[in-house]
Amino acid sequence: MPADVDTGRQAEARDEIDAYRREVRAFIAEHGVRMPAEGVRVPRDADHEKRIRAWLAALYAAGHLGAGWPVRWGGRAGHLPVHDLVLMEELIRGDAYRPIDQVMLAAHSLLEFGSEAQRRELLPKIRSAEHVWCQLFSEPEAGSDLAALRTRARPAPDGNGWLVSGQKIWSTDAQWADMGTLLARTDPDVARHAGITAFVIPMTLAGLDIRPIREMTGHAEFCEVFLDEVRVGPEHVLGEVGGGWQVVTSGLASERAFVGANSVQLERMFTDLVALARAARFADGTAAITHEDIQAKLAGALVRVEEVRLIVRDAVDRILVDEEHPSDGPVGKLAYTELNVALTELAMEIIDSAVVVDDIAADVVARWHHNFLWGRALTISGGASEIIRGLIGRQLLGLPRA
Amino acid sequence: MGLRVDAAAACATECGAALHGGPLAGLTASAHVLARSNGDPVVDDLLEGILVGERICAFGRLAPAGQPSPTGPHSTDNGVRGAVGGEDVRLARRVDGAPQADAFLLLDPTRQCAVLLTEPDTWQLTTGPDGFDVSRGCADVAVRADALATGHRLTDLGQAVDLYELLLAADALGSVRRMLERTVAYAATRHTFGRPIGATQAVQHRLADHAVRARGMNLVVAEAVRRLGTDASHDTDAAGGTPGTSGTSAAGERSRWVALAGASVSSGAPHLLHDLVQLTGGIGFTWEYGLHLHERRVHQDARLAANPRAALRSLVHGAGWADAR
Repeated sequence: MPADVDTGRQAEARDEIDAYRREVRAFIAEHGVRMPAEGVRVPRDADHEKRIRAWLAALYAAGHLGAGWPVRWGGRAGHLPVHDLVLMEELIRGDAYRPIDQVMLAAHSLLEFGSEAQRRELLPKIRSAEHVWCQLFSEPEAGSDLAALRTRARPAPDGNGWLVSGQKIWSTDAQWADMGTLLARTDPDVARHAGITAFVIPMTLAGLDIRPIREMTGHAEFCEVFLDEVRVGPEHVLGEVGGGWQVVTSGLASERAFVGANSVQLERMFTDLVALARAARFADGTAAITHEDIQAKLAGALVRVEEVRLIVRDAVDRILVDEEHPSDGPVGKLAYTELNVALTELAMEIIDSAVVVDDIAADVVARWHHNFLWGRALTISGGASEIIRGLIGRQLLGLPRA
Repeated sequence: MGLRVDAAAACATECGAALHGGPLAGLTASAHVLARSNGDPVVDDLLEGILVGERICAFGRLAPAGQPSPTGPHSTDNGVRGAVGGEDVRLARRVDGAPQADAFLLLDPTRQCAVLLTEPDTWQLTTGPDGFDVSRGCADVAVRADALATGHRLTDLGQAVDLYELLLAADALGSVRRMLERTVAYAATRHTFGRPIGATQAVQHRLADHAVRARGMNLVVAEAVRRLGTDASHDTDAAGGTPGTSGTSAAGERSRWVALAGASVSSGAPHLLHDLVQLTGGIGFTWEYGLHLHERRVHQDARLAANPRAALRSLVHGAGWADAR
């Protein structure tokens, strides 16, 4: 399969891109820590955590991560956004532990809204991986409708800062995060978007109770976080008091070209699908792939894979020249996450129809079982498909709000 | 190649959008083959006529020999009788533009060549226009076996088949684009219960899905167009294909993208258009509103290439899955 962002408007930079790709590939081969499974980020134990942090720190130190930051904070002059994409493609291809979204978003929020003191203290600790970050955004009554959040920050009786109480949920990595970006309502009497303030808080503050939620994959990646009169001060406010909504909505990382790496993800999944069809045997001992019905389904899936890879590449071509349309992100997310689910369903259909899968592919089956279950996280989190379709309806098709 | 594939595809897409009645895909494929055999007076004369828009050379495929049976389930009473009849005929099924054609270029898949027929007494239409697609004429054609034996045999087919199938996909894509735009506009203006139907999630979300799928089809067709255009010029320039790939694998990759385009559009467009009728409601069901004209057309585009199955099988063979054990 043709892969990678080496066509279209990036063609003239191909040699330079290829050179960077080789550099990154070698770096990953030498230092990379494996990704435990799709969507699984929480370390197994203290040693695993140590290795993960060392790997993330190495990515920053080598200038592969955080290269787009201002030079003053460790970024590199002349950084090309296409390098972010190449990095992510190679991390996926090399099955290496990938940078944590919440950390990158925190970095960009700090760069855009942080005080001088906050930046000076917190940005270096992101680069050294001393700090892993989580987000304390969603609540049981405020998921897709985030502005409905009810966690309250009330002025402390002694007049020094606030006491925050409420319940947060779906906080990825909160159980091992050092810092959190917290949204709380500081003023209940103004328009609901206007009364929200963002805070950056250590996850060790008194009054925080973090409880991992076991998900249907069997892993516990998300947490619920209870806040009981957690005291935060003015030094924890990110941006303006009452300006939390701007912090949330500006949260587009400059590494948005990362989305293009979904193309590599699809390429790998399709390879895994064919591997499964070769190894899965029906009752008569024949491999699934020798049957016309299975072949037709694989070919149909291949068509969808190429469609979506081109959709992603098309969006990335625009992102890289700063001409992206507001609907590009939603279109790419919907196309990728829904096709991902369809591919896992086809894999399950093949596994279900087989009486045995060759031993050689035992890891393939385990991966499909996990990916089948994990696939639903992708269509629910980060904007559920139902929300995304509404965005596409309005932003791309110009239809009225539902 | 003497042909801009991207321009031809853009024309095909506009023809599909406008329900144009000409056999553009077949005519372009015919002209592509004829242009590779210039120097022959009959060919030059026909090509000249095509270029000034006076003649139509339909493009089709001969059925395997020994399968005359012209009275298939769709044939009519005025079948094979008269000038062309009896046992000594070969059939070409479903030839786009046959009713208007004054020449035929018919592929003989068993001999890797095409036969050019320019004498009207050598063929006969065995069925009337297909009837389902009302925007273009199509018919089965019976050809005298002796005319096939003595007719003009053209062996340099170039990328005619890839071109034909890709332009059919581009034609169907035109219908998809036009009808999607029309339905989105309708959903934004048609009010029920005091608001536009496009403001209800049941309608809006399906339109969003269709827009995403249509974008995918569009990009796959565009990619196939790009590759067919690029690779075709490499073939003539470097007479061995692109550096680093054998001529065969460059051709294989080109055909793979044509198959991807054919499969993408033929498996996606019919359902998509049928759902646009549903979303348009009773008005969409009327003859006058015309969504059905595009539905009929995209099915005909698929049928002319025997898609989606032919394209999917081509992908299966190209990937080597058919040889798996």
